[in-house]
Amino acid sequence: MSKIKLTGHGSGSGTLTIQAPDTDSARTITLPDATGTLLNSDGDGSSLTGANANRPNAKPLIINGSMAVSQRATSVTGLTNGSDVYVALDRFGFNEFGSPSSQHTMTQESLTSGNAYINGFANALKMDVTTAQSSLDADDSTMIIHKFEGQDLQLFKKGTANAEKFTLAFWVKSTKTGTHICELFDKDNTRTCSQSYTVSSTDTWEHKVVNFPADTTGIFGDDNARSLDINWFLSAGTNYTSGTLQTSWGGQDDTARAVGQVNTVDSTSNNWHITGIQLEVGEYSSTTIPPFQHESYGDNLSRCQRYFYKTSAVANMPFASGVCNGTTNARALLTYPQIMRANPSMAKSDNTHFKVYCGGTSVDTTSVGFYYGNTQQVLLYVDVSSGLTDAESCLIIDDSGANAYITGDAEL
Amino acid sequence: MITSVKKLNVDGVFSNSYLLTLENGNTLYVPKDEANTDYQAILEWVADGNTIEEAD
Repeated sequence: MSKIKLTGHGSGSGTLTIQAPDTDSARTITLPDATGTLLNSDGDGSSLTGANANRPNAKPLIINGSMAVSQRATSVTGLTNGSDVYVALDRFGFNEFGSPSSQHTMTQESLTSGNAYINGFANALKMDVTTAQSSLDADDSTMIIHKFEGQDLQLFKKGTANAEKFTLAFWVKSTKTGTHICELFDKDNTRTCSQSYTVSSTDTWEHKVVNFPADTTGIFGDDNARSLDINWFLSAGTNYTSGTLQTSWGGQDDTARAVGQVNTVDSTSNNWHITGIQLEVGEYSSTTIPPFQHESYGDNLSRCQRYFYKTSAVANMPFASGVCNGTTNARALLTYPQIMRANPSMAKSDNTHFKVYCGGTSVDTTSVGFYYGNTQQVLLYVDVSSGLTDAESCLIIDDSGANAYITGDAEL
Repeated sequence: MITSVKKLNVDGVFSNSYLLTLENGNTLYVPKDEANTDYQAILEWVADGNTIEEAD
């Protein structure tokens, strides 16, 4: 071991220690030709600048960017004009404007090969065109959308003199090659910024790193409301393409939002896939982009359940516990696994899928409703024809067919 | 597309929840919470001239 001791005017000294290699191979340490500090005194590396500098965010900003969670369904057909936004993969929706006639199947795709797979992604979102639309009406557009709460975006310092740039990276595979458009849409201030990316090879996974400028105008609200959307266009009529692509932040001008977007819905042979989505604070290139922050499935699911929760369908599974209120009604409390973003909308499977278990007997339900609730729990009101015992404790259970489910939806 | 919205009472008292029926026949129990996007849709639906039904 060799040491170089540096002394100044004071009594202390700085020591640079180089450990002698225990090998016949030579070792080389290269200090950069730059001004700066390599490591903090505690060695945490937060003073590093460059590719793998510490992120200001501990968790990935995009929820479910690995496409591992799909609580609602793993495949939904017939997505078209008027369809619900969220149908399959958590936190990623299908959105459309105008009256597009194209129809799509959204699938949580299991990957077993390809560049995305060998880079650690076992799942993807796949959009399969099942009804083609080769001629788009001017106001038609289709896209995949991801929405953020403003309180999760304060680290971008948007609307201030210190506003940060955005870098969006993702793996994409598209049958249609050529120019595609992705967009940031500031919903608080109705400002947009679009960037293009090029799909070079048909049906081949490609990694894209897309830079968006900082915006010193328009702050994101520090609350649980929708502040920012990311849109990946699949198709766009001339109302969205007739201008010049707005690559700097500016007020919403639809004609400048998707200029150059290829029509990915013009053939039933077309598919479009995406996974490994990350949004980073600052500007990165394909060589400096920090690695994707993989989460455990459990952590990912928990973050998704802030926005949507679906109970498991298991035979005889109890959903909620409560008390009988007379002989034909029971009231039971369902607690969500996560505190939800907002008081959620509740839905359920058919009434016949539920029973009330009371005093050793299971009784068929005639109605199941959701009344008083908040972001943590909801009270179920369940009616039966007869057979309950007043003031007895009870469980609301599946009818043994594993068909019953309850959902809570607090999406943005 | 919303086709109807009805107030939900419990023991004769408004429970701050609505039963929303959609064009496809699906129903949702929607709380009176301005952060809930379905409640936001109800407010827009009312602003368009529609009326919320009273509870049964």
